[in-house]
Amino acid sequence: MASPGLSYEQAPPFGTPLRLFLAAPLFLVLAAVLAMTDPDAWLASRWTPLSLALTHLLTLGYLGTVMTGALLQMLPVVVGSPVPATGPIGWLALIGLGGGAMLLAAGFTLGAPTLLMLAAVSLAIGLVPFLAGTLVSLIRARALPHVAWPMRQAWVALILTFALGLALATGLAGLWPPPDPPGLTSLHVAWGLGGWVLMLVIGVAFQVVPMLQLTPPYPRGIMAILTGSLPVALLLFSLAGFFPASLAQAAEGLALVLGMASSLAFALVTLKLQGQRRRKLPDVTLDFWRLGLASLIGVALLVPAAMLEANPWRDATQAILGLLFLVGFAASVVSGMLYKIVPFLSWFHLQAQTQAKAGSIPNMKQFIPDDRARWHFRLHLAAVVLLLPTPWLPHPVALPGLVLLAVSGLFLGVNLARARRTYLAHGGAL
Amino acid sequence: MNAEVLVDGRWLEPPEPMERVLVALDVLRPGQTLRFLIHREPIPLYPVLRDMGFRYAAHPIEDGCFEVLITRAPKDA
Repeated sequence: MASPGLSYEQAPPFGTPLRLFLAAPLFLVLAAVLAMTDPDAWLASRWTPLSLALTHLLTLGYLGTVMTGALLQMLPVVVGSPVPATGPIGWLALIGLGGGAMLLAAGFTLGAPTLLMLAAVSLAIGLVPFLAGTLVSLIRARALPHVAWPMRQAWVALILTFALGLALATGLAGLWPPPDPPGLTSLHVAWGLGGWVLMLVIGVAFQVVPMLQLTPPYPRGIMAILTGSLPVALLLFSLAGFFPASLAQAAEGLALVLGMASSLAFALVTLKLQGQRRRKLPDVTLDFWRLGLASLIGVALLVPAAMLEANPWRDATQAILGLLFLVGFAASVVSGMLYKIVPFLSWFHLQAQTQAKAGSIPNMKQFIPDDRARWHFRLHLAAVVLLLPTPWLPHPVALPGLVLLAVSGLFLGVNLARARRTYLAHGGAL
Repeated sequence: MNAEVLVDGRWLEPPEPMERVLVALDVLRPGQTLRFLIHREPIPLYPVLRDMGFRYAAHPIEDGCFEVLITRAPKDA
């Protein structure tokens, strides 16, 4: 079967993903600014209200908006079947996720049950239509198994994450007493980060790393192993609680080892392929990917220290683990991809709409100049490097890293807005 | 007039291969064939070619690359 291609008729209007992409940097800035209000609170533990607020601004607000926007754009292309009603689904995802992220952050920080309930409603408005629309596309997918399966698994992980989060939020809001909140939270985190974020990044990487960075393809065997190993690790981790006590610990340990080994394998294979790319020119997306993959390696190596009860720095290690995964890995990869996706879509839609003679519309580099993107990368890198050692340093030292993170978010927003302006100036329609 | 125009888009970063093809198609004369070489099957190009009234035939060549032969479709097609 031929792999499906990008056709103009199948792609959603540019405005649908672009709106979600343009909203994303706002949440990075919001998270950085909120973190400045009380660095001790989020550095102390991942369980503080501020830590929970920051986590959800980053996962729902920043990563969530970009990932839903990118999936609405990419799914019809990579699996060869359209998502119905992408326009309304995109709007609802933007309003629901954006509103939900802010309400949840406010609900946690202020300890306000009503806001948590409203957040749950808002997130349902954002995610239920998205999950339904993408389900239709994934069921009808015509793509090869190694293309469609990682996407399907990410979809399952998202719905589980969402259901667990809904149970926890409504429980916290006092609607019902959820059984074992720490246990549910572990599952929520595992499926959200290990399932939805990591599985989707891996599935997307299989397609876009060879295509955009001109590397050799991922070996089929590696793709098959990674597609299988992460879901097995997550299922083992989720079901460990039902095993007899003696087996439960072993199952959980095995799940962690499998998850860590999969992350390491994915990061190392991708770095190796990127080292073999055909054109060794400077590329800001590649730099973002390398930072992201190095962070993922760091995450895999730090997990044991974060689990070890004898570790006197356990709480701080967990806070840093979250930072390394969300800002070091996920936000880097997502930002790097935006610098390919947005200029490419700007060019693609403009070309298709105007049937332009070549040369009469801007090329990709003119939508977002390289040096602007590179400044964003430098700020982002500096922020990650400055923030990582903060739990072990005296108090005010978190501030410079947070300021840089906020400025990097602003840079991203300005860069994306520039692409939009250029697109509109040449007669593009949204 | 050469019967064949060659565009080698192998290992160029997207969308540069497509841009080069569009430039070449702009000046392609009736009866001429555009021979386009590319490092993967250029599926996004096909609907563009159909819309612009070109016919194409693609087949794999060495190194996993593809050769696409593009000609102007007859007027009555």
